[in-house]
Amino acid sequence: MKNLLLVSGAALLLAMQPALAQDKTLTISVYGFAQDAFKELVYDPFEAKCGCKLVVETGNSVERLAKMEANKANPVIDMAVVSMADALSASRADLIDPIDTSKLSSYDELYDIAKDPNGDGMSVGYTFYATSIVYRSDKVKIDSWNDLLSDELAGHVAIPNITTNQGPPALYMLGLAMGEDTPDLKAPIAAMGEHKDDIVTFYNRSSELVQLMQQEEIWAAPIGRFAWAGFTKLDMPIEWATPKEGQTGGMNVMVLTKGSQNQELALEFMDYWLSADIQSKLGEALVDSPANMKAVVSDAAAANLTYGEETAKSLKLIPSDVALDQREAWLSEWNESVGQ
Amino acid sequence: MFQSRTEALALVLPAALFAAIVFLAPVVILLSEGFRIEGSWTLGAYTDFFSSGLNRAVFFRTLRLGALVTAVAAIVGYAAAFAIVNLSPTSKGRMIGLVVLPLMISPVARTYAWIVILGRTGIINQLLVGVGLSDEPIRFLFTETAVFIGLLQLFLPLMIISLVSALENMPNDAVPAARVLGANWFQVFWKVILPLTQEGLVIGGTLVFTGSMTAYITPAILGGSKVLMLETLLYQRVSVANDFVSASVIAFILIVMSFSANLLLKRLATARTKR
Repeated sequence: MKNLLLVSGAALLLAMQPALAQDKTLTISVYGFAQDAFKELVYDPFEAKCGCKLVVETGNSVERLAKMEANKANPVIDMAVVSMADALSASRADLIDPIDTSKLSSYDELYDIAKDPNGDGMSVGYTFYATSIVYRSDKVKIDSWNDLLSDELAGHVAIPNITTNQGPPALYMLGLAMGEDTPDLKAPIAAMGEHKDDIVTFYNRSSELVQLMQQEEIWAAPIGRFAWAGFTKLDMPIEWATPKEGQTGGMNVMVLTKGSQNQELALEFMDYWLSADIQSKLGEALVDSPANMKAVVSDAAAANLTYGEETAKSLKLIPSDVALDQREAWLSEWNESVGQ
Repeated sequence: MFQSRTEALALVLPAALFAAIVFLAPVVILLSEGFRIEGSWTLGAYTDFFSSGLNRAVFFRTLRLGALVTAVAAIVGYAAAFAIVNLSPTSKGRMIGLVVLPLMISPVARTYAWIVILGRTGIINQLLVGVGLSDEPIRFLFTETAVFIGLLQLFLPLMIISLVSALENMPNDAVPAARVLGANWFQVFWKVILPLTQEGLVIGGTLVFTGSMTAYITPAILGGSKVLMLETLLYQRVSVANDFVSASVIAFILIVMSFSANLLLKRLATARTKR
């Protein structure tokens, strides 16, 4: 009996050993997307540079924010990357601290729209993306967001779910095309309900779409530019639409957890990620479009990214406070019209 | 087997503690959220939940699909299990191996395979158009049909295994005896096989029904948000709206439905035996 307890105790101590051995650890919370590339281009080189250990937690931003909220009194995460609206949500919930941009040497190199996207000093943009419509040019022609609901596309179109980052911006543009410029998105959501049977699916992950396009299940879908590269590999005539109402999009930002014990190290990591060198590498690997104006990528990569300040400025973004304040109403409206 | 009761308790303690701390306690905490609003105990969250038309539609769809998958799995499962138990021992082993094989493959991979099979250019549509049953490809994906097919394929092995095990325990001469006494095949099944294998049916039925109601990946991939089920609605409430109260309500409903299914199947089996 004593031996049994001793063996259990020893096993427990051995299991705890790695945790005790690390004294300088930075815990970051990021999207699950392209983690292999991030490890190679950002995490590993940063660990080598700072002599510290990076612990990476992945998931969608709401899940990760819920964990930050649960651990508010004793923060586990030191820094996180989330959408602009989620950064505002974290700020309102008192989960994040202001970012001391004087400690970010790359700050002045950022595009203006990335410097303080929510205007509250609580976040810094590290990448942005355009959202438009990817389509089969041999089957249809897309000149307007309204074309998503055309007869030619009936039964061959996928729309982002309202719960995704692409959903509300795409619906906002559809609303503009319908002549409705209101943040409640009532008109485009009602249109979705009416055309529900013509829409193949309301997708949750843009990665699902490449297969659906390949199987000729769909001919068109609104997507974020970050997902475009997957479509270019298909042996099909596929184009990126430039609708007359313009393109929409989004920006992802970095935030600093309130009360984190490693804020200095977190700022060092942010600065590293925002540097022209790392931003160029991430852009070249088609992982994230650079927010650092000094980042340089090849013409081939630039063609696949949302590249350059002019492009960034032209995007019609939904303000974070609108997105946040309307989120619950959009979801309930959507569920009533589309979910049943 | 053990020298003392203490030794047996010491061996079971780590597993029991593990289950209590990382499973039971979080489940109790989570479920209690659905009964507490602003510190007081109430059923308000449940009445709110069922007052929404969408939630009611999702609840009945989940119940309907779960019951349909269980019923079809039982019919197909009896036929398959009956064929398997009558094979030679070597062939029986091979067949059971084939039945179990899909369980060793990730549900994600299995469900993605259905996207290819059920797609417009998939084998089913090629066949339908090829033999002239349809002029153009039919849309199966993102419909209740797709979710039904995916769930049936996912859980049918559990029903077959339960029924094979039950049929193997049935006395060998029961069916020949009934036949000699003049029973037709329907009577043999209804009055002999069913009562003697009801335990297997209850176990298989509970596993299939519970699995169908709580599976997330298959309805999420094959149904999407056009075919919302309770589990996909639960995910939506947590991951989008950060609404743990509704999620707790849905989780509790799913648990109650699972236990009710088990009780109902047992009750039906007992009622049959008594008649």
